[in-house]
Amino acid sequence: MAAAEAAETQLMLGVGLIEKDTNGDTLWVWCYPSTTAELRDMLLRKCCLTGENQQLHTFVYGQYRRTWFYVTTTEVPDSSVLKTVTHFSIVLTAKDFNPEKYAAFTRILCRMYLKHGSPVKMMESYIAVLTKGICQSEENGSFLSKDFDARKAYLAGSIKDVVSQFGMETVILYTALMLKKRIVVYHPRIEAIQEFTRTLPALVWHRQDWSILHSYVHLNADELEALKICTGYIAGFVDPEVSNRPDLYDVFVNLADSEITVSQPAKEAMTMGKLHKEIGQLIVQSAEDPEKSDSQVIKDISLKTREILTNLASFAEVSDDGEKPKLSFETLKQKRFPPATENFLCHLAAAEQMLKI
Amino acid sequence: MEEADRILIHSLRQAGSAIPEDVQSLRAFTAELAVAAVVGCLQVLRPSLSSGLTPHLPPGMSARFRLGMSLAQACSDLGYPRELGYQSFLYPSEPDLRQLLLFLAERLPPDPAQESTQPSVGESAILLQAIGARVRELLAEPWVPPALRPQKHQDHVRPKALHVQPFILPNAKSLQDASEVQEFQGGPLVAPAPAQIPCRAGRVASFLEEHGAQLHELPEGDSTRDADKAHRRHLAPRLVEQLRQSWGQAVSSTSGVPAPGRDLGELLCGWGPGSGEPRGKGSRFTHAEKFTFAQEEEATHVPPLAPAEVPSLLSPLSPSHLEQELRAGQEAELASLQDHLELMGRSIKEAGATVKRLTLSTGQVEAEAQQAWLSTTEREQARRLKRRAVDLLPDAPSNLAKLQVVVEASAQRVIHLASQWERHRVPLLAEYRALKKRRDQRELESSHKAAELQVLQECVCAAAAEARRKEGLYKQLVAELDTLPGDMARSAYTHRILEIVGSIRKQKEEITKILSDTKLLQKEINALTGKLDRTFAVTDELVFKDAKKDDSVRKAYKYLAALHENCSQLIQTIEDTGTILREVRDLEEQIETETGKKTLSNLEKILEDYRAVRQENAGLLGRVHEA
Repeated sequence: MAAAEAAETQLMLGVGLIEKDTNGDTLWVWCYPSTTAELRDMLLRKCCLTGENQQLHTFVYGQYRRTWFYVTTTEVPDSSVLKTVTHFSIVLTAKDFNPEKYAAFTRILCRMYLKHGSPVKMMESYIAVLTKGICQSEENGSFLSKDFDARKAYLAGSIKDVVSQFGMETVILYTALMLKKRIVVYHPRIEAIQEFTRTLPALVWHRQDWSILHSYVHLNADELEALKICTGYIAGFVDPEVSNRPDLYDVFVNLADSEITVSQPAKEAMTMGKLHKEIGQLIVQSAEDPEKSDSQVIKDISLKTREILTNLASFAEVSDDGEKPKLSFETLKQKRFPPATENFLCHLAAAEQMLKI
Repeated sequence: MEEADRILIHSLRQAGSAIPEDVQSLRAFTAELAVAAVVGCLQVLRPSLSSGLTPHLPPGMSARFRLGMSLAQACSDLGYPRELGYQSFLYPSEPDLRQLLLFLAERLPPDPAQESTQPSVGESAILLQAIGARVRELLAEPWVPPALRPQKHQDHVRPKALHVQPFILPNAKSLQDASEVQEFQGGPLVAPAPAQIPCRAGRVASFLEEHGAQLHELPEGDSTRDADKAHRRHLAPRLVEQLRQSWGQAVSSTSGVPAPGRDLGELLCGWGPGSGEPRGKGSRFTHAEKFTFAQEEEATHVPPLAPAEVPSLLSPLSPSHLEQELRAGQEAELASLQDHLELMGRSIKEAGATVKRLTLSTGQVEAEAQQAWLSTTEREQARRLKRRAVDLLPDAPSNLAKLQVVVEASAQRVIHLASQWERHRVPLLAEYRALKKRRDQRELESSHKAAELQVLQECVCAAAAEARRKEGLYKQLVAELDTLPGDMARSAYTHRILEIVGSIRKQKEEITKILSDTKLLQKEINALTGKLDRTFAVTDELVFKDAKKDDSVRKAYKYLAALHENCSQLIQTIEDTGTILREVRDLEEQIETETGKKTLSNLEKILEDYRAVRQENAGLLGRVHEA
């Protein structure tokens, strides 16, 4: 228990406070324990207080170089003790993906700051959560970090909505995720992107890897650099210019127009055959079933994935115990699959690190 | 009066009537002059009406009569209120004539001369005036045929002389010459060609000159006898041909013979004598040249189709035999080429597959490496933690308690530090914000001031422009004033008018004074008369009452009545005298005006003319009877 708690409490990295004052300046006024200049700049970009006519986004989150950031922004009412501040954002950086937990926590911190006007109180709660995992909230309740499980965060998205928006085309997203390709999602509203993209890694549930998710990226050199070092990712942009950057994506999802485009160089790897049609039909059928819940749909998809992987593993030579089974190109060729399926299995093996080198 | 007459006569003259210069007043106007003046005015006012009228009095009386009548008619048509008849023109009286001429003069349109001086001031007027002045100037000059006119504007077409300087251009012919010449030309004594010509402007000219001279010396040009133009006409196509040949050679160099480093000098050598760049001066062109040659070289390494070999197959044998052989050879070649092609295709495909495999493996390996690195870091951290835990494990409970205490203490300390930090941070932040606000305000103020300044500057500019405009206007008006004819001394007239106005005012004052005096007197008279009547009535009553009783009173009463009557008669006589005197004055005035009308003399003239008309009638009657 102690170890679990210890592991958990190391997840939060820091907390920061950004204020917008009556002069119209947005300043980073306080942080604990420390931040780098790079991170500061990036977070100033992410919080919606810079820029003249940006609308207020209450809660945004994203990832940058394996650090998750969660930003809650509030407007300061006139009655508060903070006289020179019009808006402020509380930024929390952490190592894990758990939007609900950190949204709740930052809300508490916001209210505390509004009431007391001093970050010291905020820090007390932060340290309490850091050391004990619990803190008192303003409304006679308490915030327990163990109430917010990671798995719940993974399953919180609605896969059914995704399938209902894209139908059979969901199999393109499935393929891209399986093959660890780069997906870029565009929508003018960040909340829509966040809602949509958090569900996508659930399509490859066997990996349970949400570190490929970068839900809020700007077309900025640093962020794009950080993005490029990842092999495959899901990146969300609110800037429509991203559609003119084919170097950034293999699959482009225009969420606003519900269109999926595969970029030219990736078309060869993403060719789809009978297998994909099967998978697509399964996904659609499963999602359309009104009796099934989201988690059941995800389960169905993951079963199918496991089937494919087991099939793939069966082609491999028997390997030493403990190591992954490896297969070679020739073995695959001997099975004489149709070219699209063979291509897919090839790439899948590479993605699952099952290729013999 | 004199002045008024002069003005009237002047305006009549301007209207076109021919009035002699010495006539200065209307008294001197005879019937002819009167007729001439009226006809002149009518001609200006109503050309249609006056078409049948002549300014000269015809000799015949009846004609004169008719003329007078028509003039009278015309003037009445114009709207003259008084009665007019032929007598107003044939026997003019001064006051009537004055009124008629004034009436006509008023009707005259304003002077065209005056019209032209009315300023249409403005820039267009200035421009028109300038044009007018220039035209006047040109008109004033005597005309000269264009060819003889002195050349004025030769300045802007000044042809520049071409300065040519001789310089030494090393020629490639010297390759065959002695090495000494080469040494000399490449050495330090001979500077590069452009540096030999110090003057920049002359460089281009010198080069052109040298080039032209060299063109003249081209080998095909045995045409030194020909005209220069014919030579040049042939030159361009010849140059193109030369270039094509030399380049063509380079391109068609086959795989067997690469053409490395063909110096530009050598190339141009083949073109003409001594027109190469001086050695040792590798221009960018030369390098580019070499580069393209190198590319050509590479291109020839690619599986050659050897077009040059094809012509070599054309051997001069008999035609049919030749064709068969040719075809067989071609087919064999084709087969070999196709085999080769297939081989290449296969190898490309294999290479592609290899590339794909390698890419996938690379991707996989990279992903594995990154994963490994990440897991290593995580495990390192976990190991560190566990190490510490293991160290503390022996005395677990107490250590745990101690740890908790330490954690609490450090948490408290951190919070304490944070509150201390707050004490520093908050005032600094507040100060920063305040300063920023003040700066913004100051910027706002300064921008306001700048805007105001701008407005003021614009006002200043506008005022300056206005002042300049007014000054120009003033100058223009002064110039116009100078050019105006100076005979009309308006100031004198205005002076007189003002004097007259002043005197009239004084007279009016006097008249009002007299009138008031008269009124006062009249009032006195009335008052006294009234008083008199009342006194008399009272006395009369008094005395009459007593008169019934007393005789002496009766007598007194009779005397009173007589006195009253006599006095009233006296008063009546005085009043009558006054009335008669007034009548006398009026009659005297009338006599004056009538005598001015020269009625008697006119009457005599009329009688004479009547007699003349009668005679004419008699004469006409006689002629009629005769005919």
